[in-house]
Amino acid sequence: MKYTYDKENESLKLELIEEIDMNSCKALRSIIDGYIIKYNPKECILDLNKVSFMDSSGLGLIMGRHSLIKMLNAKLTLVGPNESIKKIIKLSHIGKEIRII
Amino acid sequence: MENNIKIEIDNKLCNVSVVRVAITSLISQKDVPLDEITEIKTAISEAVTNCIEHAYEEENQKVVISAKLSTIDDMDFLLINIEDFGIGIEDVDLATTPGYTTKPELEHAGMGFTIMETFMDEITIDSKMGSGTKIKLMKKLRTRKVSNI
Repeated sequence: MKYTYDKENESLKLELIEEIDMNSCKALRSIIDGYIIKYNPKECILDLNKVSFMDSSGLGLIMGRHSLIKMLNAKLTLVGPNESIKKIIKLSHIGKEIRII
Repeated sequence: MENNIKIEIDNKLCNVSVVRVAITSLISQKDVPLDEITEIKTAISEAVTNCIEHAYEEENQKVVISAKLSTIDDMDFLLINIEDFGIGIEDVDLATTPGYTTKPELEHAGMGFTIMETFMDEITIDSKMGSGTKIKLMKKLRTRKVSNI
């Protein structure tokens, strides 16, 4: 996972590159949370441009990060999900609560 | 005309991607659009993950996946059965309710069955307490036909 932290805007961007399923989720969760806790950003951007596959475990991952980020008074943005991932996100309530670009 | 495959896996999460690759490979024999392949992969991923996460308490138990690709009247159909021999689902209506999960602490979204219903044309759930669960998924493929000129 690549990450960039923009100090000026206190914005943390994480670029996910793997297939997101239940098997990869556990490791992803602790890595993402590690970065969020380290930088305590005002905005966290999850870049999904290079994620070719995601199932409902990815939805759980996004929902969980959303709760953590909300607790830290920050906001979560998703960037570049493919059409199937967009469809999955829209099926859940989380689609209405987070910004998707 | 039809083509059948059958895969038996141990109930390990690392095997879900093995099944996804096999099913992708099978349907790629037809000229199916990429977005449809992704949707079928997602549905199968949900069904197999469910078996691994919920069907058994012990390790090294079996999940059996069989898939049939058939052509009837020039239309292509994909049928997938996902079967486990585990504890069974107590209340199928509840289990298929969007957002319902028995493992919220593990950040499960509870959207598996909703995704299967959305991405496939038909889903049948046959579950018996103590003997297992069989999920049948059916999809009519949007195969691109090569025209005979």
